[in-house]
Amino acid sequence: MRMSTKQRLGDAGTYLAYLVVCLFFAGPLLWLISLSIRTAAEVYVSDIRLWPQNPTLDNYFSVLGNQLFPRYLWNGLLLSVAGAFGAMLFATPAAYALSRFEFPAKRPVMIGILAFQMISPLVIMVPLYRYMDRIGLTDSHFGASMLYIAVAAPLFTWMLKGFIDGIPRSLEEAAMIDGCTRFGAFLRVIMPLSLPGLTSAFVLNAILGWSQFIIPFILLSKPALQPIAVGIFNFQGTYNTTSTQVLAAASVLSIVPAIVTFLVLQRFIIGALTAGAVKG
Amino acid sequence: MAEVSVRKLIKRFGQFEVVHGIDFDVTDGEFMVLVGPSGCGKSTTLRMIAGLETVSDGEISINGELVNDVPPRDRDIAMVFQDYALYPHMSVKQNLGFGLKMRDMPRAKIEEAVQRTADILQIRELLDRKPKQLSGGQRQRVAIGRAIAREPQLFLFDEPLSNLDAKLRVEMRTQIKRLHIAFNATSIYVTHDQTEAMTLADRIVVLRGGVIEQVGTPDQLYNHPVNRFVAGFIGSPTMNFIDAELAESAGEASIVFNDGQTLPLTAAQRQSYASHKGQKVLFGVRPEHLTNVFTAENRGGAGLVPIEIPVEIVEPLGADTLVFSKLGGSEIVSRVAGSADLRPGTRIPVHVDMSRTHLFDPETGVRLTAT
Ligand SMILES: Nc1ncnc2c1ncn2[C@@H]1O[C@H](COP(=O)(O)OP(=O)(O)OP(=O)(O)O)[C@@H](O)[C@H]1O
Ligand SMILES: [Mg+2]
Repeated sequence: MRMSTKQRLGDAGTYLAYLVVCLFFAGPLLWLISLSIRTAAEVYVSDIRLWPQNPTLDNYFSVLGNQLFPRYLWNGLLLSVAGAFGAMLFATPAAYALSRFEFPAKRPVMIGILAFQMISPLVIMVPLYRYMDRIGLTDSHFGASMLYIAVAAPLFTWMLKGFIDGIPRSLEEAAMIDGCTRFGAFLRVIMPLSLPGLTSAFVLNAILGWSQFIIPFILLSKPALQPIAVGIFNFQGTYNTTSTQVLAAASVLSIVPAIVTFLVLQRFIIGALTAGAVKG
Repeated sequence: MAEVSVRKLIKRFGQFEVVHGIDFDVTDGEFMVLVGPSGCGKSTTLRMIAGLETVSDGEISINGELVNDVPPRDRDIAMVFQDYALYPHMSVKQNLGFGLKMRDMPRAKIEEAVQRTADILQIRELLDRKPKQLSGGQRQRVAIGRAIAREPQLFLFDEPLSNLDAKLRVEMRTQIKRLHIAFNATSIYVTHDQTEAMTLADRIVVLRGGVIEQVGTPDQLYNHPVNRFVAGFIGSPTMNFIDAELAESAGEASIVFNDGQTLPLTAAQRQSYASHKGQKVLFGVRPEHLTNVFTAENRGGAGLVPIEIPVEIVEPLGADTLVFSKLGGSEIVSRVAGSADLRPGTRIPVHVDMSRTHLFDPETGVRLTAT
């Protein structure tokens, strides 16, 4: 069948809109990449050009050559995975209970969980620091992980609840008739079936943790403990001449793992987002 | 093997009471069907027997033991769900063996039970598939297989056939009946389909709005419904109801319709309805007792009253034909011989088998009997 002109025009319009949106979001990223391949002299030239006159990879070499850089990456990985893992431990039973049980004030509890999600750590930065300082958990990965967990748990819970809602109750009822306790039915039926939901919530929260800035920024002052998102900042101080181009290279390097993870696991992530959205 | 007794059973969801204190017994080896319109509390009752819903009030006993607070896993029951509830992450084999595994049966024994079940249900070649790779009918078989593999003392079914197409439903219905005859296990079966109820049941509980209307064998419900609801619910097409009066006509007690048409009662009926003379009644007659077909039992019977009815709509079913018509001012259906060549607008002679008709109180719906 041939497409009518009208349809084709419509399609063209759609693609045009996509293009505009893409450029809008990709613009800063392209600019960042552009900055990262400039020489110091070319960072401040006034004419706007994306491709510099003397492109160089020196900035990347200087970042990669920095002995703390692998450390930052490792710290970032550690904190984001610990955060997602810890959140999973709390979110799984919570999501199950919210999905399956009726109890007083269930709705307020669920809204409350979501409301916590909406409080940016930025707002409570000062009291948070004082509190963590008082209980002696600043400058430790343990203390920071606790906050990563606290920040990730609400979203994790909601995503997982949405997923578990989609698993028919009759399955665990059948398991309970077949001889399982409720917990047994949870372990043998609900858990295996939630695996896709668990995986995607885990990956998404780990990626969010990777880009977490405020919490490590206020809690971790020792460079050896900082994750990459904060570590980038240290490149500013290390070089006394203009360091924008090095900073840019460090930034590009820092988002590569997140993008790669996303691309490899996007099937899971999108699955989790829509599962929560449609069935939640 | 088990006996179940339900006493003054009440279920409330919050403030809302949906089962209002029902009583019935299921004897050992009996196939009991709970039937009733949507929302009448069938599933809720069954789920209380299974232990999946708490009992708000009253008692449920299995083999004389009060089970109100016994968890489902300790009731030694099996249940077939409407959506089959097969474990999607397990193979058919694992599904069949799951209940046995949970009961710590040795592996060899499980394997044996699984194979035996697979043979009975002819699902041997499906054992290594996942439920997703099965058709609806095959899933149904596996679901039933999972129930019988464990050899529980009580089988519960919640509308197990309602997701199948018409042909498969009839096939599986026969299969379930065959299994029941073979194992003779006590079963409680929920359906809203009266045909399923009639064909499968040893006895039927008719529920409406959370109360029991009647408990009885299919024959009792069909021939001696206690009220208009049961009379209308059992049988297909449904019983015809016509407003009438129990009056004197030509010196004999008769049914007189609003349009003046009269039907004489049989001698037995005259006697049993004597005390209701002059009363307004609801006259009930099933389509199959308003027919032009003579059967072994009605031929030459005293109660056959010939009448003529106008043909409005004709629905040929092959074996017989449904004629939509009017009698005594009400819409009626009659079931006539299949070969009859009928045209709308004509009239057709039929006979009313008066001995199979019923009278109901138009206010309460209760069937009138000798008092
Ligand atoms: N979890 C629940 N919370 C509140 N009300 C419920 C709940 N489950 C069932 N009900 C109500 O109880 C009544 C009986 O429901 P039930 O499922 O037993 O009906 P049913 O006879 O099985 O109907 P159907 O043929 O449609 O399956 C209905 O009015 C239903 O709305
Ligand atoms: Mg139901």
